[in-house]
Amino acid sequence: MSQPNRIDGGQIDRTHSLKFQWNERWMSGHPGDTLASALLANGVKLVGRSFKYHRPRGIFSAGSEEPNALVQLRKGAAQEPNTRATTVELFDGLYATSQNHRGSLEWDLMAANDLLAPFLSAGFYYKTFMWPKAFWEKLYEPVIRASAGLGRLSMWPDPDTYDHGYLHCDLLIIGAGPTGLAAALAAGRSGARVILADEDFTPGGRLNAETYEVSDTPGSAWAENAVAELAAMDNVRLMTRTTVYGAYDHGIYGALERCTDHLAKSDGKPRQVLWRIYSKRALLAAGAIERSIAFGNNDRPGIMLAGAVRAYVNRFGVAPGRHVAVFTNNEDGLRTAVDLRAKEIEVTEVDARKGDMIVDTKGRKGVHSVILSNGRTVPVDCVAVSGGWSPTVALACHHRGRPEWREDIEGFVPADDLPPGMTVAGAANGTMTLGACLSDGHERGVALAAELGAHGSSGAVALASDETFEIKPFWHVADAKPRAWVDLQNDVTTKDVRQSHAEGFRSVEHLKRYTTLGMATDQGKTANILGLAVMAETSGKTIPETGTTIFRPPYNPVAIGAFAGRARGKDFRPYRLTPSHKWAEENGADFVETGMWLRAQWFKQPGEKGWRDSVDREAAAVRRSVGICDVSTLGKIDIQGRDAAEFLNRIYSNPFLKLPVGKVRYGLMLREDGIAYDDGTTARLSENHFVMTTTTANAITVFRNMEFARQCLWPDLDVHLISTTDGWAQFAVAGPKSRPLLQKVVDDLDLSNDTFPFMACTECSVFGGTPARLFRISFSGELAYEIAVPARFGDSMIRGLMAAGEEFDAVPYGTEALGVLRIEKGHAAGNELTGQTTAQNLGLGGMVSKKKDAIGLKLSERVEMNRHDDLRLVGFKPKDRAVLLTAGAHFLTPGDPADMAHDQGWMTSVAYSPELGHSVGLGYLKRGGERMGETVRAYSPVRNQDIMVEVCSPHHIDPVGERQRG
Amino acid sequence: MAEIDFTLEAAPILGGVDLTIGANRIAECDDLAIVSVATPLGGDDAMAKALKDVWNLSLPEPSVSSQSGEIRTVRTAPDQLFLIFPHATPDAETVVQQKLAGAGYTTDQTDVWVVLEISGPDTLAALERICPLDTAAFPIGGAARTVMEHMGALLLRLDVDRFWLLSASSSAGSFLHAVETSYRNVASH
Amino acid sequence: MIIDHPLLGPRDAAEFVYKGDASLIHRPDGMTATDDEMHDYVYLRDNPAGEHRELWYHEQGDRSWLVVTRNTLTHEISKVELARDVARAEGRGQ
Repeated sequence: MSQPNRIDGGQIDRTHSLKFQWNERWMSGHPGDTLASALLANGVKLVGRSFKYHRPRGIFSAGSEEPNALVQLRKGAAQEPNTRATTVELFDGLYATSQNHRGSLEWDLMAANDLLAPFLSAGFYYKTFMWPKAFWEKLYEPVIRASAGLGRLSMWPDPDTYDHGYLHCDLLIIGAGPTGLAAALAAGRSGARVILADEDFTPGGRLNAETYEVSDTPGSAWAENAVAELAAMDNVRLMTRTTVYGAYDHGIYGALERCTDHLAKSDGKPRQVLWRIYSKRALLAAGAIERSIAFGNNDRPGIMLAGAVRAYVNRFGVAPGRHVAVFTNNEDGLRTAVDLRAKEIEVTEVDARKGDMIVDTKGRKGVHSVILSNGRTVPVDCVAVSGGWSPTVALACHHRGRPEWREDIEGFVPADDLPPGMTVAGAANGTMTLGACLSDGHERGVALAAELGAHGSSGAVALASDETFEIKPFWHVADAKPRAWVDLQNDVTTKDVRQSHAEGFRSVEHLKRYTTLGMATDQGKTANILGLAVMAETSGKTIPETGTTIFRPPYNPVAIGAFAGRARGKDFRPYRLTPSHKWAEENGADFVETGMWLRAQWFKQPGEKGWRDSVDREAAAVRRSVGICDVSTLGKIDIQGRDAAEFLNRIYSNPFLKLPVGKVRYGLMLREDGIAYDDGTTARLSENHFVMTTTTANAITVFRNMEFARQCLWPDLDVHLISTTDGWAQFAVAGPKSRPLLQKVVDDLDLSNDTFPFMACTECSVFGGTPARLFRISFSGELAYEIAVPARFGDSMIRGLMAAGEEFDAVPYGTEALGVLRIEKGHAAGNELTGQTTAQNLGLGGMVSKKKDAIGLKLSERVEMNRHDDLRLVGFKPKDRAVLLTAGAHFLTPGDPADMAHDQGWMTSVAYSPELGHSVGLGYLKRGGERMGETVRAYSPVRNQDIMVEVCSPHHIDPVGERQRG
Repeated sequence: MAEIDFTLEAAPILGGVDLTIGANRIAECDDLAIVSVATPLGGDDAMAKALKDVWNLSLPEPSVSSQSGEIRTVRTAPDQLFLIFPHATPDAETVVQQKLAGAGYTTDQTDVWVVLEISGPDTLAALERICPLDTAAFPIGGAARTVMEHMGALLLRLDVDRFWLLSASSSAGSFLHAVETSYRNVASH
Repeated sequence: MIIDHPLLGPRDAAEFVYKGDASLIHRPDGMTATDDEMHDYVYLRDNPAGEHRELWYHEQGDRSWLVVTRNTLTHEISKVELARDVARAEGRGQ
């Protein structure tokens, strides 16, 4: 397992070896390597195939800007496609494979696409797949889908876990290169609370890749010392392997920390953490990214950015080649030649500033020669290209900032439209030399710390000399015959850019979408400026006139799993359990989600074959004897104050001012637009103390709206609200035997009809001293009560009630039987309160008091909402009693065509009534109240039902209410 | 008295859970009573006086609890505070109401909340994963309401690495799971 | 987004629920309002590109309703007040 290209030097740990697999071949590297540096050390040049033409591609960069070296990392369910080999930290046992080829990487069957290149240029899809129309779905789309995309998903659930988190700081420094480190040292020493984040696993940025000295020590050693000093400061949090990917409002930044990606096993810890960082100030010190020059066949493996070549040589101790052509338009690129020669690597300098150019390259699976503009062919195994450096301005532009062009550096720098609180320093701000970056970082660190009130001694600025910086714009070899690549990842060439211009797609936003320039996973980090430059030249404009596209988060790809965090499967949202949940589980309950609540929908007994068996039994038992249902999920609001009654009178459409103490009243709330909103009962426990119940679904919004009314509409009413929904275990005890059952349970309270009539309420105690509240209310239409005890007694209470009910054959009943009972009785619920129904529709128009103002009163009086021929809630039964009704069916007058023009209303709720022995329904019917006994057609094309139904009172059972009042 | 020989038993919401994760602990406090007290409109002075006279408590500032002996008070709304104190029987509200003698409107909140006492060296790191507030900057005694994993919560810092977390009792199981997961995600063992 | 709560300091917008234009405070009395007045109150809102006074509810906090002055173009929040104080100052008290 030799590493033929490993050379002396670098910051890798040669005392340890790491074994890894590449395309099933075992290789070795060292701690400190990336997968890319280890592959290069092992002589691997060809690492993947390009997106469109399936051209052989190699490693192009040494950072997260990598367009080419995308690999499939790990195997099985944990595999991740499109991982940049340049950012993958090597670990023992790492397994990676190349992607985007059929057959082997070396002999990719899809490489035939390259021969079809003349047909596959920009706009190919739009032009080609237009006809015949029928081919799109059957042929084109399946073929395109099969060949599109890069890596492949495992199609298994992601076995890793992810987490979210929140961090707070005075100053967030983005980037731990020389600028960021200098700023962090200054601000940290001053005492500011600092977070320093860098996406690399070794802080230092370009200091690790170059041979510069800082304060008379090698740059990388200075960085190491700086990190050690920062690590010792309690007020500084250094976050490596952390990409700040987005700048959001009010100093909030998104960051992704890769916690276990560099380990063979995650050991049960989250793989990545998505942080929300709250900062008072932010310093963007994200450096700069080198860009290429477009020349003929400039995409072959072995052709790399010059700065990346220096990084591999200086940081990783790897020679990307033994004979390197350096093609540059700037002074920095030429330093590559110096560094390479120091390692005894042969160099051919091609300086565009002197008019020298590479016009073409040769070598199918790796460059083996370059052809120069003077016609000479030079054998090389690597080309180091530098078209200059582009400041990393993305985060500075996340609030729609438009960067400004600076001619002296041939790059865009952030303008003054930065996100509030952000400052930009160092190369990200166009400061392109080391000494200047260090002092810029230091000064900004001092100034920002002072702004934040940290005035400790910031220490001295680190010193370094400033290298010469000189660049001459040179973007592409204009007369190159062969294709010259601009965007390597999306296979966009200079020809595509020119074609885009020729076909009228000239604005950058059009150029981007027509050619897909910059739309790949790398977002064109090494390509965009080059593409703009070619477009500018073609259209005879300047680069700043051409402009940039909008920058949007994320700066680098973030796995969907990281955004999801823990919110997967059962952890998608919290569950709320009723106090009798455990007992219900023990007694065969089947649960249903209602909002966040889990409620028992029925209790299956031995021998019951389907849910109907259980529900019919439960509903029948309530009518015959007694049933018990946990209704704790209803919203409960405690209302107190001198003006509590007045407040309720303004909230409910019906009067509440004169509700006597010890009584409950049904209340109907309207929205301000007059539509029915929520209903429930409210009990007056004492002069200034009420307890309101809301529907389960609206508990939170009703409370919110009541707080709005209290604070904003009537701020001087003395009324106070607090939710007690979770505080009480509340059970409906319903049926003719509910009174004798509860009489056994309550302490010293006579439940006879005279002393505790319908709609009475009281505070009492049960089972010998446990405090309780008792309400005589009925949703089922039977003699019924609701009894509440503090939630801690809920489990015990259901057991006690069942024990007390044993002699009456008491049964527990769930939400389905609850539904059957209320439909039989004609009580409206969620199906009826659709957000479009009025009190009139519900048949409750008479309840709305006209004598007092209340929310919704005024607009409920609108003429159109009070038409006599409007919908009314009525009951329905099938003419053929054996037929089951269908909710959602629309009503038609027999003989009328089934269309909306003849629509008469619709069925809202249906149930099988075990009491009546047939299906019963509730629904809205035009002039329903006047049509008792009429036969109408109930038509449901969706459920394929077309039947005749009889209109009847919604109170299918006990229409005069004798049972509940008895 | 009731005609049936049956006694209701109080059950802690989470069964009195007591977990150790690494060097950290999550324990349910099931002996605390919580009573909310709303200040009548215009009654701020009377409320402050009552708190002082009855319990020697000062009216708490919005983000800091105040304490006297075993009773603590936290401001939960501009005109509302919670009294939290050890009290096992279900009559806490009656007790407070009598002592306040009309200075505030009381509501029993004991059963509305689950109280977890969390402690240990990884506590701040665990809170970072679920709590959007800057808990590291909380003073001892600092208190705030916020939302964690979609669940409303009230935090109270008891010590450097010891907090009470209050959340709704109906979702107590999910809340415990969220807190426990946070510790497991950051603890070294 | 962060809302600087007048009593509690900066809090993440995730703790709040948005309602809408602060003009919703000025509910006409249902017994005396004309149809048009009530219609305008319920249905008509300004939609300014720039400063906007709007109602936010600190649901996961102290249950205060706030009047937040926010620039709809930049999201800059220039003022946060307790809605109850605003309501009183604007004549909704008794």
